[in-house]
Formats: sequence, structure tokens, C-alpha cells
Amino acid sequence: MLAFFNTIAARIRGFLRPGDSESDFDQEMAVHLEMAEEDALRRGLSVEEARRAARVQLGGVTQLRESWRAAWGLPWLDGFALDAKLGLRMLRRSWGLTLAGGLAMTIVITIAAVVFVFLDQFMGRTAPPLDQGERVVALQSWDAEAHRRREVSRGDLERWGTTLQSVEDLGGFQTIERRVIVDGRPAEWVRVAEISASGFRLARVQPLLGRWIADADEHVAAAPVVVIGYDVWQSRFASDRAVIGHTVRLGEIIHTVVGVMPEGFAFPVNHRYWIPLRADPLGSLKPAPEGVVFARLASGVSLDGAQAELTTVGLLPPATAPPRGDARRPRVVPYTFAFTDDVERGELAWQQRIIVSLVSLLLVPPCLNIAILIYARTVTRQEEFAARFALGASRGRIVVQLCVEVLVLSSAAGAAALILARPILGQIGEIIRRIPELDGALPFWVDFGFSWRAALFVAGLSVLAALIAGLLPALQATGRVLPTALRSLGSRTGIPLGATWTALIVAQVGLALAALPSAMELAWGNLRPAVLGPGFPAREFLTARLSVNPQSVPFDSRVGQLQAEVVRRIDAEFGASAVTFAAALPGAEPLTFVEMEEAVVGGPRVRRYVRANQVDRAFFKVFDVSALAGRTFDGRDFSAAATAVVDQTFVRQVIGGGHAIGRRVRPVPAPGSEAGPWYEIVGIVHDRPANTSQGRLYVPARPGSRAAASPSQLVLHAGPDPAAMARRLQEIGTNLDPALRLETVRRLDEVYGEAQMSSNLTSYALVIVTLSVLVLSAAGLYALMSFTVARRRREIGIRTALGARPGRLLASIFARALWQIAGGVVVGVTIALVLHRRLNIEVEGGWHIPGILPAAALFIMAIGLLSAAGPARRAVRVDPTEALRDG
Amino acid sequence: MPDSESSILQGTLDLMVLKTLEHLGPLHGYGIARRIEQVGERALIVNQGTVYLCLVRLVQKKWIKAAWGVSDNNRKAKFYSLTKAGRKQLQAETENWERVAGVMGRVLHPQTGS
Repeated sequence: MLAFFNTIAARIRGFLRPGDSESDFDQEMAVHLEMAEEDALRRGLSVEEARRAARVQLGGVTQLRESWRAAWGLPWLDGFALDAKLGLRMLRRSWGLTLAGGLAMTIVITIAAVVFVFLDQFMGRTAPPLDQGERVVALQSWDAEAHRRREVSRGDLERWGTTLQSVEDLGGFQTIERRVIVDGRPAEWVRVAEISASGFRLARVQPLLGRWIADADEHVAAAPVVVIGYDVWQSRFASDRAVIGHTVRLGEIIHTVVGVMPEGFAFPVNHRYWIPLRADPLGSLKPAPEGVVFARLASGVSLDGAQAELTTVGLLPPATAPPRGDARRPRVVPYTFAFTDDVERGELAWQQRIIVSLVSLLLVPPCLNIAILIYARTVTRQEEFAARFALGASRGRIVVQLCVEVLVLSSAAGAAALILARPILGQIGEIIRRIPELDGALPFWVDFGFSWRAALFVAGLSVLAALIAGLLPALQATGRVLPTALRSLGSRTGIPLGATWTALIVAQVGLALAALPSAMELAWGNLRPAVLGPGFPAREFLTARLSVNPQSVPFDSRVGQLQAEVVRRIDAEFGASAVTFAAALPGAEPLTFVEMEEAVVGGPRVRRYVRANQVDRAFFKVFDVSALAGRTFDGRDFSAAATAVVDQTFVRQVIGGGHAIGRRVRPVPAPGSEAGPWYEIVGIVHDRPANTSQGRLYVPARPGSRAAASPSQLVLHAGPDPAAMARRLQEIGTNLDPALRLETVRRLDEVYGEAQMSSNLTSYALVIVTLSVLVLSAAGLYALMSFTVARRRREIGIRTALGARPGRLLASIFARALWQIAGGVVVGVTIALVLHRRLNIEVEGGWHIPGILPAAALFIMAIGLLSAAGPARRAVRVDPTEALRDG
Repeated sequence: MPDSESSILQGTLDLMVLKTLEHLGPLHGYGIARRIEQVGERALIVNQGTVYLCLVRLVQKKWIKAAWGVSDNNRKAKFYSLTKAGRKQLQAETENWERVAGVMGRVLHPQTGS
């Protein structure tokens, strides 16, 4: 084995310094021949005979030199380097292909790389960045029947901690939310990790100041202590090195700071405050992300080994016996996997593979387009290949050469994609960070920086792209062209273009046309709110999230009282018509699947996705929305009657523009659950906000009900100067009952702007992909036309000489190409119509654009004709004498 | 090629070169080629150039090393010598060869076997 690696190392050295071994070889051969000649002279041969004998004994020097070179270098790499050099030269020469093909490949590989990194980071594949992080695991209670993670009882946590030998540093955490007050400064709600002392031992990160939480801190009678994160130390304690011993009020309890963790430490998820997880034999830990039982695999124990022991130890029986038996099983999973969805391990891996494969398939359309261009170029290089074939290069060698040429292009695209993916992932990280549950920070193991796995994936995609775009034309061209080209070397007879070519052109025109309308509708749907605006002065509105801590307020009636108190105080401050509560902010309502009651008995029941919101009586007044028909909500609607108000888009999309007042609608019940009440539509209002894709259904929120109050959104019409109002609202929030939280006070236009970020990203991606497909299609058609003209140059010359009219000449030359475009248009229109029927573009966030399909068909045909214009001009300008002389 | 003459296997040539260097000490390529010709009594057809390819392989494996020196005729030549790893390899290959040769002998001449 050592000899093998020595050989490889020597060959690499020889490859990098080819000159050294060459001169050695020359010198050694010269010495050898001299010695052999001297020997021969001593045996009595003449000088001439001695020289000849020496050479015969040595063998062919040229052949020997070749073998020597091969032995000292990496011959396949030499060939690869040569092919790559040729590829670079071809890229420079065919700059149109380089630009169009490179752009398309870059876009698709970037999208695939972003999806790959995202899945890699969020689907439990990444080991946490801790010492031997891959050995950190989570222990769960898995309900095999319901397919859900269940709570782990504190009894099980204690038992596992004392029994299991296959894991060490076992402990648990749960996230709680507390109002934090330091030195009498304004209170702020923060997420605090209640964590076992073993969590710090498991993480193996030494504190920056002070100490970790100790086992003794877990006792019920122990003095309350807190360990704070680096950011907290900086922002709240001004990096005071004497912070140890200071106090922090978390909720109602004063905690003493005993330690500061170093920068970047956020175990178990994204925490900045850690307090001890007190012993509580009757309690339980919620499943991730709120809580987790963590541990480290003991030395030499595998995940399966730990699972086997955990299965033997099992779970304690539940406090109350479930009606259909206990389906819970204990399971051990890699730590970050615990924070993914309710799935089995294999299942998630499959989902990930399927998503990545589907995204990788996006490569196929642009690569097929590039394949057409490459084929066109390959056919024009027939003589070069024929000559190489005649000189002994195998078909395989020429195919490899063509694939390497494309690989140069796809590798450049891959490198560009790796660079581009980073800022895009940064943007996505920003969007995710704003999810309220994450509290402004991503889990500590999420890292959107460079990763070797991503680089390998991109390299794999580049090779795949090269194979799709290079292999097909290479096989086609060398299979068909070479024998013909060999026969026709020296003459100018054409190479036939077969059915593959026609199929490729039809496919690419068809695909471009099929994708164009849906892509444009999706892009426009996503961009409309940003371009056309919400239809009302959103910057005059302030929003805040109002929630009630259910641990502090166990009764619904108390929730109602608290909410009423908030309303009273805000009303007193800002006026009764200025504030409204709703379950969701206008524009960010959840998508809900609803059904309409049949218009006639036995008639069709319309079902559709709409955005549904629960609003209070002041909602329409605050947003200055008047009823277009019927009425808005009044006192009647907040008692027993089930009524609803819908907007114009709802009427258009769900009812088809018909009569809506008096019709009844309800959310479609989930399978196995009971249907809710029918809501009678009592009014139709303007779209608020305008220019979004889905219709809206408003139902009355019952004040004080848990659903409406926890959490609910408060919207305040603050007028032209919302900044002052925002400060006042924040003060009210700080002084509220400790059980209430009034947080994230922001202007509504800012909320829309942030929500628009992901829509903009989607739209730009769609527009860029569509443009690249169009550019590629145009380039493909241009190549087809150019090739047709080049191939029939001689014929055109003869016909021009015989007095053919240019119009008829062009018609006969381009008839085939035009038929191919027409075929593609027919295929494209058919696919687009099927897509239109199957895909409800408005549900996907798009916006129906009337007449988009015929417009797209005309556009594609125009692109085809424009692409043909240049070659057509060349055709009619062919000089008969030159064409005949060349032929 | 007449049947009586035999071409030599690559591994066999490696073994012959290693043995030559062990026996004669540091030697140049021409010397090694001549020695193999003499010992083989022309029964083994070795193109002298083949020896150099064999030498490259052995140098790359670090079983032998090469250094420029001066020959008996006062001529600058590249001398090859056995390394420690080469000596171990030679021993292993010799044992292997003797075992194979013994087995082959017993297979081809069963009456003389024990």
C-alpha cells in the first residue's frame, strides 16, 4: 500500500515538473548508448556497426520516451488538461453560447445549491459545532401510531440519567419565556433555557467568566442563578468583567449571575439565558423545539447501540392510560434531527433526496437547450473530428473531449453559483430569523457559509450538467457525423440533421412556451403588492403582537378581562376608532381551504383556498373599508350568529363574480374531524390590502376567547407621524400586566416590506430563469438557422445563379425550421393549457394575466423569426460564384 | 517468437533488478541490463530499454534510489542502489517466488516430488 502511495506521489511530482525527468532521460540514454557502443567496439565491430547494435539492443528511443513520460506523469490528466484547454478556446470563440449557456447553468445550479444547503442545515443532517458534535444525540418519546414526538416525563429523564450506560452527560432543557429586568431598565421578553447542569458538561465550552450551572443549582431549595450569553453581557452589562454576583430579574424571581458564556455559544438552540432545570418529578419536557432530552454517546457506543439499550429500559407508563393503548417508543436520534419535523429518520432522508433530485432536474431544460447549441457547433466541426478519427482517436476519446469542453463551461457556472448562493442564503437567513419563535437568532448549528458538502454537490451538478449538455450531442455527432464526414472530407456536402435535432428544437420551444405564462403569472403575482402598493397608507398604521402567557393565565375568562383592559387603555390614549384587534395582520392571514354551500341543492360545491382572518368590530372602520354590498360587522355578529364578510377578490375567485350576500361558506373540515358552522356572508368589502393573490374571508373574533387573544395582532391607525405613537405604545406594553406581552411594535408598511422580501426573491428567480430559457431558445433557433444556411450555401448559390426570387428561396430554406418552431408552439400551448387547468396559479401566489398564453405564443414565434433574421440575410446575400467555387 | 524463447513477466523483471542490485551493489542502467542478459544466457529476451521503465517503477515505489555518479570509465552515469524498503521487498518476493517455483516444479514433475 505504501508503495502505491509513493508511486502516486512520484507521478504527481513528475506531472508538476515534467522538464526534470525529460532531461534525466536524455542524459541517461546518451550514457547508455555510449557504453553499449564501447562494448560493441571492444567486441570488434566497426564504429557504424557498434552504433547500430547499441540502438537495436536499447529498442525504439521514441517509443521508450513516450513510455517514460507516461510512467512519470498522469497521462489521463494530461489528456484532460488538453481537452480543458481546447474547451476554454471554444468558449472564447463561441461567446454567445458561453454567455447564454453559462448564465442558464449558473442560475439553475445556484437554485439547487441554495436548496441543498438549506435542507442540509434544517433537516437534521448537520452535526452541532461542538466538540465531537456528531456524538451528541437527543432521546425522544416517539408515538409510532400518530407519527408524533411526545413529551418526555421528568420521571423518564431521571430514570434514563441513572440507568443508561450507553450515553453520558444526559440531561434536558425546556424553553420558557420571561420578562427580564436588569438594573430597573425597561422590561423585555426573552427566551430562557431551563437546562440540566449536564448540558454544559456535554457542550464542553468553558465559560468566559464565572462558572457553569452546577448540579447543586438544580435543587428546589438552591438559590436562583443564571448564566448569561456574550451578547447579553455586552448589551445589558456593558461587558463589565465584574458582572458575576449581579442580579437579573426573570419574571418574578431575582437570579444571581454566576457565569458568562463566550461569543457564539447558544446551546441548546439559540439561547442567551440559562437557568437550572429544577427537579420536578411530576413535570414533563415538551418535544423539540421547546424542549429536548440530550446526551452524548459513550465512548465506543454507536447510535444503534444506544437505541438498543434505550428500548430495553423503555418509558414509564403514562399517567392516564390512552384509550387505544400506548404507542410511544423511546428513540435516539442525532441531536439536530430532533428539531426537524415529526418524521422517521429514513423518511426525512428520502424527502431530502427527493427534493434535491427534483431541484437537480431543473438542470434538464437549460442543459437540453445547451445540448442543441453544442450539437450545432459540433456538426460544424465535423472536419476536425473526422481528421482526429482518421489519425486514430477513438469515438470514446472524441466524446470525452466534447464532454470536457462542456465541463469547462459547467464548472465555471458551478463556481459562480457557489459565490452567488452565499448572499442569497444570507437573505433567506434574514427572513427565517424574523420568525417570532426564533426570537431573532438562527439555531447555533445553522451556518450558511462555505461547506465542503455543498461544494461537492455543486461539483456533482456541474458534471451532471456537462453529461446532459455534452454527452447527447457528442454521441449523436460522432455516431452520425464521423463516418459521413470521413467520406466527405475535402468536399462540402452536408451532414444530415436527424429526428433528434427536430425533437430537441420542438422540445425546447415547447418547454419555453409552456413555462412562460405560468412563470410570468407567478412572478407578477409576487411582485404586484410591491409594484402597485397595498391600496391604503400602510405607513400610517402601527402593529404590535399581543399575547398572553398561558402559564400565568390559566383561565379563558381572565384572558378576556386582560384583553379588555388593554383595549380600554389604548382607547383612552388614542381614541376608540383608532385601534383594532385581529387574529392575523391584514395581508398575512393564514391560507384556509373553504367550501361554499351549493347554490342549488345537488349542485357543485366550490372549494378553494382563501385567506381567513378573525377581526373585531372596529377592524373595517380603522382600515376605512366600507361595504360595497351588504354591511360590515356590528353588534349582532359578535353574539351567536355565524356571519362573514368577504372581499372583492373572494367574490371573483370563489363565487365567480355572482351574487354573494346570503350565501354560506365554511372551512373544509380536516379528515376525521367534525365540520364547523356555516358562515353566512353579510357583506362585501374592498380588498385590504389590495393587489394580493387570494380572496379574504373575515369572521368575527369573540373578545376574550383564547383563539383571539393569544396571540393576536393589534393595529393602530397612528396618522402621519407614527414614530411618537410607537414609543407610547411600547411604554404601554412595558407597563402592562406581567402576564400580557405587547411586543414587536412596527409600522405596517415595514411588515409588508419584510413579507415582500421572500416574494421578491421568488419573483427575481422566476424572471431570471425564464429570461435565461428565452435567451437559450433564441440562441438555439439562431444556431439552427445559421446551420441551415451554412449547409445549403452551395444550393442557395446555384438557385440564385438560376434567378430564384429571394422570397421563394427563403421560404424553401427555412420551411423546416419554421415547421419546427410551429410544432414547438403547438406542444407548448398544449402543455400550458394542461398546466393552467391543473395548477391554480392564484393559490400558488400568482396572478392571472388575461391573454398571456397567446401573447407568449406570439412572443416565442417573434423570437424565432428574429433569430432567423440574421442567417436569412446571409442566405440572400450568398454570392453564387463564391458559393460554387467553395463547393 | 520461437517457443523456446520466453518473454518475462513484469514482476519477474522487478525481482531480477532488485536481486542484481543486492548482488552487485550500486549500478547504472546499462550495467543492470547487461547483467540480466548474461545471467539469462539469452533465454530471456529483454529489450534493454525495458529495464529503464522497470527502474522508474522501482524508484517511484522507493524500493531503489538513483543518484548521479562517475563510472569506472570516468563517465557521468546514474547509479541505482537498493533501499531498506527494497531489501525487505526483495526478501518477500524471493520467498514468494521460491514457493511458487516449488509448487510449479511439483505440479510439472510429480514423480520427483516428495
